[in-house]
Amino acid sequence: MSEWEPKIVSFLCNWCSYGAADLTGVSRMQYPPNIRVVRIPCTGRMSPKFALAALREGADAVWVSG
Amino acid sequence: MLAYIDKIKEISDRLLQEKKVDLIIGFRKGTLPMMNEPCFVRSSADVKNLVWDSNCGINLANYLTNRKEKIGVIAKGCDSRNIVTHIIENKISRDQLVIIGVPCKGMIDRRKVYAAAGQEVTEVVEQSDAIVIQFAGGEKTVKKTDVLQDNCAICIHRNPVISDEMVAEPVEEQKGVDRYEDVRRVEAMSPAEKWNYFEELLAPCIRCYACRNACPLCYCPTCFVDESKPQWVGKTLDPIDTRTFHFLRAYHCAGRCTDCGSCVRACPMGIDVRAFTKKLEKDALELFGWEAGMSLDVRPTLDTFKPDDPNTFIK
Amino acid sequence: MVTFKLNGKTVQGEEGQYILQVAEKYGVEIPTLCHHKALEPAGMCRLCTVELFDGRRSRFVTACNYPIWDGMEINTDSEAVHQGRKLIIELLLARCPNVPVLQKLAAKYGIQEPRFKKEEDDCILCGLCTRMCEKMGNSAISLTGRGVEMSVDTPFHVQSDICMACGACASVCPTGHITLEKIAREITKKKATLIPSEYDMGLKGRKPVYVPYAQAVPNTPAIDRDVCMHFKTGGCKVCTEFCGVNAIDHSMKDEIIELEVGAIILAPGFQPFDPSRFDNYDYANHPNVITAMEFERVLSASGPTGGHLVRISDHKEPKKIAWFQCVGSRDTNKCDNAYCSSVCCMYAIKEAVIAKEHAEYDLDCAVFYMDMRTHGKDFERFYNRAKDDHGIRFLRSRVHSVTPISGSDDLEIRYVSESGEAKTEIFDMIVLSVGLETPPETIALANKLGIALTPGNFARTTTFQPVATSKEGIFVCGAFQGPRDIPQAVVDSSAASASAGEMLSSARNTETKEKEVIPETNVAGDRPRIGVFVCKCGINIAGVVNVPQVRDYAATLPYVEYVSDNLYSCSQDTQDSMADIIKSKNLNRVVVAACTPKTHEPLFQETLLNAGLNKYLFEMVNIRNQDSWVHKNNPALATEKAKDLVRMGVSKVALMQPLKEAELQVNQTGLVIGGGISGMISARSLANQGYETHLVERDSKLGGQALNLYRTAKGEDVQKELAILIEDVTKNDKIHVHLNTTLSSVEGFVGNFKTNISSNGESQSIEHGIAVVATGATSLVPTEYGYGKDKRILTSLELDRKLIEKDTALKDIESAVFIQCVGSREPERPYCSRVCCTHSIDNALELKKLNPDMNVYVLYRDIRTYGEREYLYMEAREAGVIFIRYSLGKKPVVELTDGKIFITVTDHVLGIPLRIETDLITLASAIVPYRDEKLAQFFKVPLNDDGMFVEKHAKLGPSEFATDGVFLCGLAHYPKPIEESIAQGQAAASRAVTLLSRKTIHTSGTVAKVDPAICSSCGVCVSICPYSAPSFIDASARMFPGKAQINAVLCKGCGLCVASCRSGALHLQGFDNDQIFSQIFALSEAG
Repeated sequence: MSEWEPKIVSFLCNWCSYGAADLTGVSRMQYPPNIRVVRIPCTGRMSPKFALAALREGADAVWVSG
Repeated sequence: MLAYIDKIKEISDRLLQEKKVDLIIGFRKGTLPMMNEPCFVRSSADVKNLVWDSNCGINLANYLTNRKEKIGVIAKGCDSRNIVTHIIENKISRDQLVIIGVPCKGMIDRRKVYAAAGQEVTEVVEQSDAIVIQFAGGEKTVKKTDVLQDNCAICIHRNPVISDEMVAEPVEEQKGVDRYEDVRRVEAMSPAEKWNYFEELLAPCIRCYACRNACPLCYCPTCFVDESKPQWVGKTLDPIDTRTFHFLRAYHCAGRCTDCGSCVRACPMGIDVRAFTKKLEKDALELFGWEAGMSLDVRPTLDTFKPDDPNTFIK
Repeated sequence: MVTFKLNGKTVQGEEGQYILQVAEKYGVEIPTLCHHKALEPAGMCRLCTVELFDGRRSRFVTACNYPIWDGMEINTDSEAVHQGRKLIIELLLARCPNVPVLQKLAAKYGIQEPRFKKEEDDCILCGLCTRMCEKMGNSAISLTGRGVEMSVDTPFHVQSDICMACGACASVCPTGHITLEKIAREITKKKATLIPSEYDMGLKGRKPVYVPYAQAVPNTPAIDRDVCMHFKTGGCKVCTEFCGVNAIDHSMKDEIIELEVGAIILAPGFQPFDPSRFDNYDYANHPNVITAMEFERVLSASGPTGGHLVRISDHKEPKKIAWFQCVGSRDTNKCDNAYCSSVCCMYAIKEAVIAKEHAEYDLDCAVFYMDMRTHGKDFERFYNRAKDDHGIRFLRSRVHSVTPISGSDDLEIRYVSESGEAKTEIFDMIVLSVGLETPPETIALANKLGIALTPGNFARTTTFQPVATSKEGIFVCGAFQGPRDIPQAVVDSSAASASAGEMLSSARNTETKEKEVIPETNVAGDRPRIGVFVCKCGINIAGVVNVPQVRDYAATLPYVEYVSDNLYSCSQDTQDSMADIIKSKNLNRVVVAACTPKTHEPLFQETLLNAGLNKYLFEMVNIRNQDSWVHKNNPALATEKAKDLVRMGVSKVALMQPLKEAELQVNQTGLVIGGGISGMISARSLANQGYETHLVERDSKLGGQALNLYRTAKGEDVQKELAILIEDVTKNDKIHVHLNTTLSSVEGFVGNFKTNISSNGESQSIEHGIAVVATGATSLVPTEYGYGKDKRILTSLELDRKLIEKDTALKDIESAVFIQCVGSREPERPYCSRVCCTHSIDNALELKKLNPDMNVYVLYRDIRTYGEREYLYMEAREAGVIFIRYSLGKKPVVELTDGKIFITVTDHVLGIPLRIETDLITLASAIVPYRDEKLAQFFKVPLNDDGMFVEKHAKLGPSEFATDGVFLCGLAHYPKPIEESIAQGQAAASRAVTLLSRKTIHTSGTVAKVDPAICSSCGVCVSICPYSAPSFIDASARMFPGKAQINAVLCKGCGLCVASCRSGALHLQGFDNDQIFSQIFALSEAG
């Protein structure tokens, strides 16, 4: 690939943002395919270590939403 | 501060005599200059070993964890705040303790003294506001304020926040101290500058965990660095593993750190590991108006659940 | 079967199929412009030309309409084909140089400029439109003329009266030659309009086959028979060609289904008022005058403007927006809706705040209103914030008219300011806060059912049976019961179900069937054997993601023993075959890559159960909603993403362990705390539904605050009705009343509470499964307006007492003054007490009835007679009650001089002080919660800043707490009138019965768990859990005293405790650290 594409890991709350991401699909909104979603039961589940681990695994950005 | 020792001895002796406590946790003289070491005094006969001067920087709350005895503990401002945290976190109960409060004017940083001497120090003699450094072939007097530990220089809680007996009248608290000048400097850096700053900061780390061991906040039965499933952090000296260790250690102290400086004092490589904890301490203060260990009656800010938390800082 | 070669590969097709169809099946792409799956091919555009070798020689044929035969060899990608295609494109481009689809093709085939003379056409004469028109059963257009004269046209080039303006031609035209505008202008005589989307309030179009809105349940498309061409001409049926499972049946007819039921609940809702008839607001003609419902769609990310705040006419960002309140409400002049719609003030403020947040510039929002009615819980605070923090302007005025400014799309409004000045102001956009009204169909339904309606056409109910219609067995909830907001509608819906439940309790569980349980295979300790099922979801996934590739990739992953792809994984037959495969292949972990776990996880878990697998040995991978649907233009990367997600899912599922769902008995006894109206209603409802109930009252008698009330807003005698209720409760042998009783301790949790109560020093222990908090509130003792200094200065309740006792002195009074908002809507008590406006007005009317010559004044800040209480306000004005408004900064002043009472207030119209001599002052004192911290501690439920209990969810869970098994009703929740207290009492019982009727509770498997050896007893989890699931093991316990433990029944599986645990002692089963880490670590593995 000629242009750099960021790799984004997102941790989405099952109850809001994950559902919203589903709804985005239902509404057929389009966004770049650079995101990999990890479903978590609540953003309360999020641990700083997950963000660090994702960065270490080569993610360019970590997005926590909930 | 030098005069405190008589009172400390008197209280300790009395508490032991009256069997109000099983032991006193205090300091005795170390084998090296400026290296007073914690000691447990269990009988009146040993009270004479207790010392007090500006080399008592070690946080004695660390020695209370999960003890079963009745304990008399000598507490500076910072120690007292960690004792509060210890009580809140069920590491010791309040009724096991007789807290012997010591108003503190700051502890001296042996590295600064060494630097002032420029050579091997044979003896350090403390006067009220000055330090006389003796070395082979001479001596040098410096002002105590010039060789204070960094955290003591900006301390605003010198008097114990909790105590059963005080060895002296409270000292005047420092006013108008800019506690976070260094944090702001780092915050203002560009990402690249920050990267370099932390890279250099942690380069000497040998992963000895002395900072962890000296910290009264670190008492888990199994530390995350020792767990293998999941492996929270790699065990190598790879810079990423080292950084991960320091980040996580700091996060574990978020909202709990009293800036007692034990970690920096313990580091054999002289790394300013307070750079991490201070940022979190500043955030806790600015975002939640929270200072750790100030009261037994308030749940720590990060333990508090509020359905109506406005969270305006998240936006 | 016909076998032939396609690009050297042996392929098979059905007899009679064309080359293009087979190529599509094998994923070989052949470009075409005039092909349509539902139409007979015509070979018009020639783009699909391919090379055919018949054994002797090669020739070119069009793939779309050349039938396949045994032994033929087709090449779709030879140099000759390529050159031929390039020439065709070049010719087409020369004819239509400005058509994007041709420009794109030209670029793909390396054509810079056509070598032929360029024309200015945009039709390639492919005839797709005419064939589609024919398919519609219509043939309004055809290819007319010959040679260079040929074109798509109507007969005789006149606008057709046959054309039904269905738009099918435009929807298939590849070049954009036929557009909706062209249809309207040249083709049809009929009015060509978009089918308005009901959900988008007509601001957007929709198709005849449609899902009403993205969140619709069921999310299945429906055919709108009124616009579907098939139901007009018998033609079309194009949709059936595209449905992979033949689900569309045009022959389906409406059916009449007869149900035998014991009760009916009416929840038909409302329709927003249509302001078209208000010519002074120009709504019907001006695109920038919109209703609040339309504005909601403008603000919505899924709305017609994609959530960008722009006005309709020119898509310009508005600088100034005005809201007009009471459009179609509180109006008997231009419409017949005299009632207040109750919700519009709040939604207008909300819209203004959101509009401000959307705009990245300084947006001016102005709300024109009569009285600001923010009487709901926390609404007054929201109003204050809108004013003070967001800078929204609130202008007390009814706008006279709106005039469009010629030459612009702006609007000028004329209104009279509070000080009486006539003013004009220009806005970019006007939002009409339309009211709620009952649609004619609902009125017809009501008439058919024979239920009585109110003057406002809402279902008539009584205060003491707020959800019962005039006909026994028919209940009502929602806006048909009267205009109301979401929390009230939710309360009423629960109340209606409780009312029906009370009638039908003897029939409970008579029609339930036991489910067969398949024994679970023990797989603990076995090496993972993972099955991966990749779903095509028809073309929903397979149309973008290369499913076979993902499937084959999955087969290469560790522990994967079986892979397959399915057309529809959720279909019953696939489910059955999956269960068979799990058993026959001995799989012990399952991954389904399909739509979303949010909707389909339970279904697939059921399949696991049917195959004898623990349902937690499952992971769902979202490759539809979060992949194929959102990356439809990027199939290659969508496929890569699907592989990554499958890899993450496989690595997670390998670490999944079978989880147990504990079963817990529910003690089927209720405890209701508080013997006021709502508590008694709650207890009675529980008892009538068959459950033993303890009713605890701190006082020596039942009744609560209702004992002090004279009459309801609907005119019922409170004391009479209350006496009946008290008798009902005391006589009910399932209700155990405990008077003079308080709670001394509460232990346990949902299903198994143990509460110690003490009455007069005697203590008793009650075991119960649920608790209802109905502890009520009290009346503020005023400290202002001379209260306590003169016996003629009373609170509302004291006046009620006089009325109850029929105090004859009242009718001799010459002048009476009511002061509103005494202690409410003040900085230290920033909420509205909700009931006092109605209460005072009702009492003012009562005084007027006792003595019509009495001068009665009501001093108020905003009159909040919401809903049909507004009639009382009208009646009071007609009866001559004088209403004088004051502001918080200029409160009335009461003086006691020479045994006389004077009250001075600044008249809001004249602006001058008015001095009234009066014989009676009634202070509408605030309703003040008890701030019962002890009770809050007992049940681990929160209190808000005002000291009221905090419900589970402000809108959707008003009658329950976040803590399971604890419910809430009455004044303890928020000030409310009797009918709302009763409804909430019933609602709390209804919510409680959902637990009590179950007998057992199953915990979820995905709950937290403590490893006590690692726990450091720091107590963060205990402190942080909103559901009180963690606790310390008793200090005297033999094992692990002082360490944390989790009560799985209370745990909601949020993982807050897990993340907060520094020691790593807490684990969230199903989302454990190593499982999430495995997903993260799987990210970077080479794909």
